[in-house]
Amino acid sequence: MNYSTSQFKNGMKLMLDGNPCSIVNNEIVKPGKGQAFNRVKFKDLITGKTLEKTFKSGESLEAADVMELEMQYLYSDGEKWHFMDPGSFEQFDLGEESMGTALNYLVEQDNCIVTLWNNNPISVSPPNHVTLEVIDTDPGLKGDTAGTGGKPATLNTGVVVQVPLFVAIGDRVKVDTRTNEYTGRA
Amino acid sequence: MPNFKEKLIRYQYLIRNIRDFFYSHNVVEVVTPSLLVAPTTDVYIDSIEVSVNHALSKSSKFYLHTSPELEMKRLLAKGSGDIFQICQVFRDNEHGHINSNEFTMLEFYRVGFDMHQLIDDIKALLISLGNDDPVKEISYAEAFYDYAEIDILNSDFEGLKNILESHGLNSDYEWIEDIQMVLFVHLIEPKLKTIPVCFIYDFPKQQAALAQIDGLVAHRFEMYIKGTEIANGYQEIQTSKEYRDRFETELGKRKSLSKSIGSLDEDFLDDLKVGLPSCSGVAIGIDRLFSSLSL
Repeated sequence: MNYSTSQFKNGMKLMLDGNPCSIVNNEIVKPGKGQAFNRVKFKDLITGKTLEKTFKSGESLEAADVMELEMQYLYSDGEKWHFMDPGSFEQFDLGEESMGTALNYLVEQDNCIVTLWNNNPISVSPPNHVTLEVIDTDPGLKGDTAGTGGKPATLNTGVVVQVPLFVAIGDRVKVDTRTNEYTGRA
Repeated sequence: MPNFKEKLIRYQYLIRNIRDFFYSHNVVEVVTPSLLVAPTTDVYIDSIEVSVNHALSKSSKFYLHTSPELEMKRLLAKGSGDIFQICQVFRDNEHGHINSNEFTMLEFYRVGFDMHQLIDDIKALLISLGNDDPVKEISYAEAFYDYAEIDILNSDFEGLKNILESHGLNSDYEWIEDIQMVLFVHLIEPKLKTIPVCFIYDFPKQQAALAQIDGLVAHRFEMYIKGTEIANGYQEIQTSKEYRDRFETELGKRKSLSKSIGSLDEDFLDDLKVGLPSCSGVAIGIDRLFSSLSL
């Protein structure tokens, strides 16, 4: 199945140079004296890189067979990360290179979005907000109110996040996975 | 709806300030017909056809003007001197978030001006409209050299095709000017988004349109505001024969693209036989100017 530039819209998944890509932005440019073009920004769903291409209006690209499914993260055996589609109980696994930043936020039993291309998992997106446990941080010093940046804390996934001084080991904290920022105590 | 009314009033001020600028420079305001006997010959612009007078049993076809250029040039050939016009223009097959089948155009001609004098005049107009952003002026060739390290004027069709391919772009284009344009859209325009006002001048001769050719370049310019094309101007060709040649070349290209072909406007070519005075002219998209300057 092919889509022509007139059908392009944001979020559409298409094949570009052999890789599945998602349209981030589609701009129609009609030079006063020239033919119309589509200047399109894509995100490569495998590498995560964005790229820009310009097409003659009317050109078409092949649709990418891409699906985004909510799955449960089961466990990691150290080499592969295992997920399950709760609808079909089908299991999928990904290597570290495809996990991206999801590695920093997923704990067993968490739900997340797994992207499948031709039924093979290619990437994982953690929920925007996760709750994690502080396993290591310096004790906050009493009376130290001058610092506004807080202090680093290591969470149970291994990720390090800046937290306010009052946060202690064993506390559960909420983290925004898009910015790696502490948003509050759970 | 205070914002709506405020916007109408700001638009009114824009139009009024444009008129004030030209009146104070003794540029005469004109109105020319929008129903023309011939469609535009422009390769990539399509006229909208209208049929009239059915009920009078004298049905005939007209084309809505895509710009008032030719009708204003007839006035210039008759000795009008400096003229300007603000009017609606109509183009088929143009529709998008910054394109429309109908838009407002300011077109003006200054007799005795070369391209750079006309650019200076537009800069003065922008200042009189309250825009004192810094203005960049760069030739088409310099823009390609600075932003993309491409020698655009001395690259042939095959060379430019290879550049397109090296950027992973389709190189299936008909003429060298098409490749120049896709490279401009892909590599240069995005760089112009950070520039408040940018004039690009001396286009490659293959993109001369109705501008005078001088060696490898044509004295044609465009004005971009934050990366959006707002104006297109020429140091005008002057003889009826040059106009006929350019029109015929364009019609030939339309034909090879299987686009509709109209007859030439022979009345225009007749009127131009006395010659157009030495002049430069420009078309400015008022809707885009209004929104991009947030005047």
